[in-house]
Amino acid sequence: MTKQDPEKKKRRKDLLDIDSISVEEIDFLVKTAQPFKELFTRSVKKVPTLRGKSVLNLFYEPSTRTRTSFEIAAKRLSADVTNFSVSQSSVVKGESILDTIDTLQSMKVDYMIVRHSESGVPNFIAQNTHASVINAGDGYHAHPTQAILDTYTLKEVFPDLTRKKILIVGDILHSRVARSVSTCCRKLGIEIGVLGPGTLIPDSRPDYMECFKDYATAFAWNPDVIYLLRLQRERQQAYFFPSMREYHNLFGITSNRFETVKSEGIYIMHPGPVNRGVELIDEVMTYERCLINQQVENGIATRMAILYWLQPGENKIRKPNTEIRGKS
Amino acid sequence: MSEPSLSKTHILDEKDINHKLRRIASEILEQHPKTPLAFVGIHTRGVIVADRIYNVLIEDRKEMVKGSLDISLYRDDLDNLGSIPSIKNSDLPFEIEGATVILFDDVLFTGRTIRAAINVLTDYGRPAKIELAVLIDRGNRELPIAPNYTGHTIQTSKKEHICSHFHEIDDEEGVYKLINSERAS
Amino acid sequence: MTETQKLFKNGQIASEKSPTLRQADVLVNEKGSISAVESYIETKPEMDVIDCSRKILVPGLFDMHVHLREPGREDKETIETGTEAAINGGVTGLLAMPNTTPPIDSGGMVRFVLTLAKERARIPVMTSGCITHNRQGKELAEIADMKEKGVVMITDDGSPVANSYLFRRALEYARNFDLIVASHCETMELSADGAMHEGKVSYQLGIPGIPACSEEISIERDLSLAHYTKARIHIQHVSTARGMEIIRRFKEEGVHVTAEVTPHHLLFSEEDIGDYNTAFKMNPPLRTKVDNQQLLEGLKEGIFDIIATDHAPHTTFEKNLDFSSAPFGITGLETALLSLYTYLVKPGKTNWNLFVKTYSAEPRRILGLPSVEIKPTHPAEFIVFDPDVTTIINKAFMRSKSVNTPFLGKELMGRVEKVIYKNEILLDRLQK
Repeated sequence: MTKQDPEKKKRRKDLLDIDSISVEEIDFLVKTAQPFKELFTRSVKKVPTLRGKSVLNLFYEPSTRTRTSFEIAAKRLSADVTNFSVSQSSVVKGESILDTIDTLQSMKVDYMIVRHSESGVPNFIAQNTHASVINAGDGYHAHPTQAILDTYTLKEVFPDLTRKKILIVGDILHSRVARSVSTCCRKLGIEIGVLGPGTLIPDSRPDYMECFKDYATAFAWNPDVIYLLRLQRERQQAYFFPSMREYHNLFGITSNRFETVKSEGIYIMHPGPVNRGVELIDEVMTYERCLINQQVENGIATRMAILYWLQPGENKIRKPNTEIRGKS
Repeated sequence: MSEPSLSKTHILDEKDINHKLRRIASEILEQHPKTPLAFVGIHTRGVIVADRIYNVLIEDRKEMVKGSLDISLYRDDLDNLGSIPSIKNSDLPFEIEGATVILFDDVLFTGRTIRAAINVLTDYGRPAKIELAVLIDRGNRELPIAPNYTGHTIQTSKKEHICSHFHEIDDEEGVYKLINSERAS
Repeated sequence: MTETQKLFKNGQIASEKSPTLRQADVLVNEKGSISAVESYIETKPEMDVIDCSRKILVPGLFDMHVHLREPGREDKETIETGTEAAINGGVTGLLAMPNTTPPIDSGGMVRFVLTLAKERARIPVMTSGCITHNRQGKELAEIADMKEKGVVMITDDGSPVANSYLFRRALEYARNFDLIVASHCETMELSADGAMHEGKVSYQLGIPGIPACSEEISIERDLSLAHYTKARIHIQHVSTARGMEIIRRFKEEGVHVTAEVTPHHLLFSEEDIGDYNTAFKMNPPLRTKVDNQQLLEGLKEGIFDIIATDHAPHTTFEKNLDFSSAPFGITGLETALLSLYTYLVKPGKTNWNLFVKTYSAEPRRILGLPSVEIKPTHPAEFIVFDPDVTTIINKAFMRSKSVNTPFLGKELMGRVEKVIYKNEILLDRLQK
């Protein structure tokens, strides 16, 4: 009794990026997500964990999928969920984020789930509110819940992730998913390769990323997983690549490459939504080692685990071992 | 991290524990000579209590199933926890609807755990009946909950800490009373 | 109080001519001129004696790159608050940038600003004018008219003159009027929507980057044009070591170029941005630690003629926007002396003479102003600096309307105790 329960995890106020959390915390969240997924098989899928708590989806950038995933996660924990969608175009420069936060603060929100097109906004909000802030994607910076749900998905396939190889394909430069997923994989000892047009693989990338010029060399590296990033069509206008067609020919999973993927037994992941015919051909979606739907399902369980773990309000984080707690 | 200074008083040893559990087993048999029973232990040590009693009874009656419950998600004190436990799977491999369930736990204190466990069970279905068996009843209830089967009753104050250890998961076996005589600095 | 002689007793005099301080007594006459600087001056009854033991007398500083924001953004700064901030930091003369609203791009605007400055400022304010009409980079402003009304420099600071043809013509046209053309060097197409230096840190933070070459290409272009047109040019706020090397090369070729570096580009790097701290967002952006070191070497070697702060006040509201949306710029007038003393002079990385040369003497030489070296016959224009106490940079200390400085809440070494300007004492912290 006097020894610390190794299964227990100290709680945090916010989840802003992967850099600031430890391997143990990632493991804890992945482990905790699993029983939440189990809940979905019950007749009552709801648990009273966050009863009376309010969760606010603060989305400055539209994303039905991520918002819905968080909404379901929060509702299954019995929290009250409010969606506060601020369309970016309607935000007059005169109203700062701080004004919005002050307003929301007085509404006594316990958890804020923030998505914004500019990097660092969730960090800024977190510094200015007692509510727990979960970053649901900010600019090019981070998408930590995606990285954790991807880790969970990977863990379901590979119980031991050390020295597994993941090839991330596409727009590394503008991708918060790539940043968070690669940081997370790096922490867990997974090797990371990147493949994409020279314009979208930045020279300022971390040194641990192995960079490939084409699929031939990338396949020779023997990746266990290919993680395809969503391609934003507007990048074409900014000269990053000449056409969607050429992108698909060079970096998409074409039928030829799909043959290699199947014969090598490589798993396919994608954060969604998929541009069919660009990142991959249709047939990939029904491939038995395509984990895309599993990622979506695991998203809810992972986000439940994160909501369960975080603790709103500052000064509430207790030092471990300063008190003993009787079982009630 | 300095250890809090604790004074430790012995309550039950291994022999006592086995004796008490056997008595609970015979009471259960007396109450339910024929009814099919569902044994449900509350994580972590309630599961062991349930297992041991199940193993005693399985020699005399066959119509029993067992499962386990994790009540972490049903706690009402989550706000106050600086650290949280990882959640174990609740494993109820039988139909709750219409079952006669006996809940098992090691120590009964405020009753809040039992309240939570009842809530979990009813989220799975509508049992015909729920009973409660505990190794130790230490009083200080905060909810109107009473056990149907009790191994040992002791008077305690709220500040004291009662803990049980079992060979299955601990280095030793026994039930102790810990008094936190001096707070760690 | 103004009609007496003042004797500054036992101070240590800083000068661009000597790396060491010289202990001396300084006598200032009734008219505000220095009448004697001697190792010992006998006290007479008619003198006000000011004890300066253990204090340093520093010639009044001059800042060639200041945004006073008036007219247009008086919520950020006014000529009055900006010059009071200058005095608070020991700066006794400054050159204002013309990117006000409306911009200073005509003789009328120049006259307006200079008249306002005469009424409201206790120190001389000089102003620059725009190179192009309305700072739009499309047609030349009426440069001769602005010169006649008192402009000493032209610049579109805040933006480059993107059109090389137009910039060539500006250099050629300005030659006749003995005006300095100053350039904010940036290639807008490369900077695009960047908000910080492009590199590992910008990648990690997910903030669009401004590559170093955005500035370097523009420095190369502007100096090539200055070389070709034999014009006088001044390169503003250089942030990269490679940009500095380009300037060195053209200087060696004999191009008439002067260049400035800011305290923040000497002291801070991209890594200081940390958790999206907008107090470290400026343009040009903070570069790398290597750049910091090399820029300091360049300052010592004379590639940089002057230090200027690029004092750029912004409201707290604006600086509280997210990192990409917050405006570029930080204030500098009140912290330049203290921060450079704390981080460079006190640790021995530079001496007082370099500081005095680049932040007091050289700017005045460039603009053709009289010297304020502490010596007989010169006007009394100096600071009494106390190196033994510290200054806490907070709202109560600052006179600027804006508090967007990375030093906010920090403690810096030294204190500007008094500011002497001719026969006036503009600031005396011991009198409160």
